[in-house]
Amino acid sequence: MIDQRIFEDLQAKIDEETTVRDELHEIVQTLARRGRSTQAILSRAHSTPADQLKPVLDDAAVEILAQKQEVLRLKAVADQHPFYKYNGLWTRELQNLVTSIELCAWLGGLQEFKGSDSGSFLTIEEVGKFLEVPVNLKEQDAFHLTIEEYLLALISVVEELSRLAVNSVTLGDYERPLQIGNFIKDLFAGFQLLNLKNDILRKRSDGIKYSVKKVEDVVYDLSLRGLVPKGSAAA
Amino acid sequence: MGTKRSWEGQTVVNMSASESTNPTLAIFGNFRDELDEHHDRRERIIKASRDITALSKKIIFALQRVRATKQPIPQNIIKENDARLEQIHKHFASVTADLVGIKSWRYQRQISGGVQEFIEAISFDHYLRTETLITHAEVVERLPGILVTEEDYLMGIFDLTGEMMRFAVTALSSGKVTPTDAAKAGVLVDLRAIRARCEALSVTGRHRASMYKDLAKKKEVMQNSVEKVERAAYGILVRGSERPSGWTPDLSGPAMEVETH
Repeated sequence: MIDQRIFEDLQAKIDEETTVRDELHEIVQTLARRGRSTQAILSRAHSTPADQLKPVLDDAAVEILAQKQEVLRLKAVADQHPFYKYNGLWTRELQNLVTSIELCAWLGGLQEFKGSDSGSFLTIEEVGKFLEVPVNLKEQDAFHLTIEEYLLALISVVEELSRLAVNSVTLGDYERPLQIGNFIKDLFAGFQLLNLKNDILRKRSDGIKYSVKKVEDVVYDLSLRGLVPKGSAAA
Repeated sequence: MGTKRSWEGQTVVNMSASESTNPTLAIFGNFRDELDEHHDRRERIIKASRDITALSKKIIFALQRVRATKQPIPQNIIKENDARLEQIHKHFASVTADLVGIKSWRYQRQISGGVQEFIEAISFDHYLRTETLITHAEVVERLPGILVTEEDYLMGIFDLTGEMMRFAVTALSSGKVTPTDAAKAGVLVDLRAIRARCEALSVTGRHRASMYKDLAKKKEVMQNSVEKVERAAYGILVRGSERPSGWTPDLSGPAMEVETH
């Protein structure tokens, strides 16, 4: 005899989960839409000289702060459920947001949120503080930014900056490729410390060396032709 | 440059001087430790899950030697399987600390294979004894400290139908059950009921890709299983007298099992 209640209960659970996913999905959609507009603004950096970048960064900061509000909305709903059960729904968008934050900060925006001793990028703790979400929770089951998400976001920053190194030269800026080179080599050394397994982090971080090479080629071309500004760090 | 670890996970080379002075390297040194801890834990869970799967399969094989439902299971089979169950529980116990709190869902996919196979084993045992389905709550009760999702439960039940099919076909071909009896009560009737109930379950909308991912595949295998029993009953009824004694219907066929992991 098969008790049909067993299957009625299962259907109820499935419906319940669908409702939760619908609710989260709606917020993530909004976050994604705003994220695309943040990225569109930041991509203007590729065609804007560094000394005229301020308005671009201000626009980007406005969008980023709007995204932060979406993250807080997401957090409020996600906190009612097991974190890793639904994490897959928003992880991509959260990573994109962290990439935008890091990029904006590296270019000179969001200065008021940057710690004094943290060098050129925001640490995971600083990003968490900015977004007002916890980071790397290991015991408490609540919404947070994971280490993997943060690292994947940094990899995207490296890729974006390697493109910027090339475009800086086109804009006549011979100083910035050197800064970018130093920065991403620093991160590259960091990533080499990690014992990565065969996962997404491994796959993505394997690409960093190509970004490093791309920037080094630019720096090489500049120094070969004596175009490296005097007194710069990597001359 | 990365710090290498011995196989026990002990750091072989300590932080180099540059790592403690360069802030970026210090930060990444921290991440490395966190990620190592995560990978080690993940591997422990995968290993336990594999061992549990293997033991559960052996329990199922042993149970296929049972010849009748709603009868006490023969002592020798109980004894074998109790020993296996004890080992299974040791494997589960070895990873409960790794699956506590937030970690239960984090590593759900790693332990899920073992949990599903375990459900298949205990639900088969339960069915043979009582001719009823074990409930999700009963499974949860037997696995303290382990997350048993509804999805795990349902996938375990799907796999159970494959075992019920094998059991029913063996019973039919041995002559223990006649095809006309089979159509009135017992395994075939229950298989049809499970099939109808499972077909009625609906996972719809945009979440179909992330929820109950194997549902469609498993459903198909289950439908095949039910039909195999129906065909066996038909074959024995119509041509039964023409078969030599000891003949067994062909159980081979497409898609006997779905590999989930």
